Amino acid sequence: MNNQDPWGPFEQVMKAPLEWAGTWKKKTSGCVIGHLLPDVPEEIIHAASALPTALEGAGVGISRARAHIPSYTCNHASGVVELGLQGALAVLDAVVIPYVCDTTRNLGHVWNRLFPALPSEFLRLPKRLDFPSARDYLHAEYTRLTESLARITGHKASENDLQAAVNLYNSSRAQLRHAFLKHREAPRVWTASRLFLLTASALRCPREDHLEWMKALPWDAKPDHSDNPPVPIYVKGKVWDPPQIFRILDELGFVVAGDETVTGFRSVAVDAPDREDPVAALVDRHFAMIPYVGYHIDPGRTITGLVDRARESGAAGVVYLNPKFCEAAAFDVPDGRKALENAGTPCLVLETSSGSSSEGQVRLRLEAFREMISSELL
Amino acid sequence: MEPIQSLKQLKQINIDYYAGAHTAKQSGKFVAYVNAFTPVELLYATDMYPVYPENHAVIIGARKLSSEMGAAAEAMGYSADLCSYARCDFGAIKTGRSPTWGLPKPDLLLISNSQCGTLTKWFEVLSRLYDAPMVLLDVPHSSSGEPDPAAEAYLRDQLEDLVRVIEGITGRSVDWDRVREAIRKSKQASDLWTRVLEAGMARPAPITVFDQFISMAPIVAQRGTQVAVDFYEALSSELESRVAQGVGAIGNERFRLFWDNLPIWPELRGLSQLLEGRGANLVTSLYTWAWAQLSVGEADPLTDWVRQYLYTANLHFEYRVNRYVEMAERYQLDGFVYHSNRSCKFVSQDIPEVRRAVTEITGIPGVILEADHNDPRLYSMESIENQLNSFLDLLESRRNKG
Repeated sequence: MNNQDPWGPFEQVMKAPLEWAGTWKKKTSGCVIGHLLPDVPEEIIHAASALPTALEGAGVGISRARAHIPSYTCNHASGVVELGLQGALAVLDAVVIPYVCDTTRNLGHVWNRLFPALPSEFLRLPKRLDFPSARDYLHAEYTRLTESLARITGHKASENDLQAAVNLYNSSRAQLRHAFLKHREAPRVWTASRLFLLTASALRCPREDHLEWMKALPWDAKPDHSDNPPVPIYVKGKVWDPPQIFRILDELGFVVAGDETVTGFRSVAVDAPDREDPVAALVDRHFAMIPYVGYHIDPGRTITGLVDRARESGAAGVVYLNPKFCEAAAFDVPDGRKALENAGTPCLVLETSSGSSSEGQVRLRLEAFREMISSELL
Repeated sequence: MEPIQSLKQLKQINIDYYAGAHTAKQSGKFVAYVNAFTPVELLYATDMYPVYPENHAVIIGARKLSSEMGAAAEAMGYSADLCSYARCDFGAIKTGRSPTWGLPKPDLLLISNSQCGTLTKWFEVLSRLYDAPMVLLDVPHSSSGEPDPAAEAYLRDQLEDLVRVIEGITGRSVDWDRVREAIRKSKQASDLWTRVLEAGMARPAPITVFDQFISMAPIVAQRGTQVAVDFYEALSSELESRVAQGVGAIGNERFRLFWDNLPIWPELRGLSQLLEGRGANLVTSLYTWAWAQLSVGEADPLTDWVRQYLYTANLHFEYRVNRYVEMAERYQLDGFVYHSNRSCKFVSQDIPEVRRAVTEITGIPGVILEADHNDPRLYSMESIENQLNSFLDLLESRRNKG
């Protein structure tokens, strides 16, 4: 690693995350537990003495997976199946699949058929965020996950282990939230590319190391004062896709005022509270997060909540990053868009992970959007 | 072949059902939008009239209006990748065009996600549109169907809460005698529907799955009423008479096939004619059997609903494969036709692996048709016909090899 480049360690992780996990595994003899997104409690995996590593299918070219899962499946699911069929997941000791939609439900079935030798856990996340006993149910599910991981890793997480993990991840998230503030203050140094490098790598390496590396980052970077300040946007979507999008945002002069992606601000916005029972604390955290599109709250609040969050962020516009074939996201768009525009917030809807959209098209549309919202700002 | 006479009752049954929906409020009733796996018997006990937006979408598709409605929904901003039932519904609301004069405004939207998650999002849109309360019965999915006491407790809580919500909306206490009466009728209708489906085991089968799809309307939309009981009494009797006389649904039944998934509603007639022309009879399906499994007991219906939604309706992989293997034997199947239905990920995404598993166990081949349950813009009938003809050629050659 390049000690002089504070961003170097994070780049090393993201250059080849699964290889990086393999190196970690050789060094420590620990278990690597892959997990899809969103909302698998990494603290529980960490407490079982394993390395949680996020699996993302966006951007993976689909070939063999088509024989096993239809073409109208989102890339996030198809891509992970493809990685498995290519042998790229050989480093994993187990996979956790969160049930957040019909596709992840079916992925649980398909996965067991395709990879019977790789233990998998199907995390049955409740969908009714407003219903009191959904919390009891989730507590039982987290406890079940804890026990299942104990069988895989050979280490049963104690309450102290879980509490230590909760504390560690809270510290990490606090520092990552600070990074989001630095991005708004000093986007020339704390670019979108670097910001999301931090959040993505956090999901793929030991949090202790990540936290330690973050100490060397340029926290003292002075706020930018420019005659041409970047345009703040709020991003609504599952994941950041295509991967070049950060560079495009930086080059076009956008700053991310807030985002609800599962790899972005949503993943760091909320900490687990101080509770005697660390599992209960993780449950509380889950219910306090910005609701994922696959969950159910009062339908009116689904829309008004988005409008409020976008307004509170100070964003000049909202960009939807909607993965193709993601029904949960697509159903919300017309009402969301209408409410935002009625509130004076322009929107841009980008369909991502479609295989047919190009970097050039994304750039063009974002450029046009910037022009539009910049002229409204003047 | 001689058509099934009982089916002639369906037109009036459907007219009366939708007329009843539109006049429900005038007669002091309330309207609830629901999906299949919801406890409608509770609704009947409080004079709530259950209306099925999916059923409405089917009629739109069957009347060849789904392209127009789908396009109208897309013009509203809804992606063409969304469930075509939902797009038909949104399009009908937008255009005001509907074969059933539209649907009455709901007082409650009630769904369970053991059928699919798409319905949750669809009904959320409707809840906002109509400013009507929505209840989701969240049914956790355990992937392999193993007992889940925590899920049972969670779901039971939701059902008990649902009773309070219904009572709050209607201002009436749930009359458990009326619930039991509706449960009795549901069971009667389900048992009669089972007899209809089991008639398909006869050789030749007296009814095709296409006619079963058409006959489903009362068990879907009027389960718990005397209308469904009377209709299936007539239909099952007629079929049993046809079996006794050796009357088949098609002239020369040479191949017996299973249909997986929802139908391709706009193409029922075309597919029926193609298959009949080749001596192929669709004798059973996944979709029609779902409605034979929805009755509960009178003693403790809440517990029965919990188990039904969690362990039967949830369509776990192993359960599905085992059912198909069992049906292969009971129905003496020659082949499986799998509809990879673009609008229904819930049932369709597993299909490549289901097909593999079923063929591995039974040795019976299957063909996968890529289509859609309601949007003809999303498939090519020429391709489907070619695939079916090739499949039937395969079955022919297997038979010749003997």
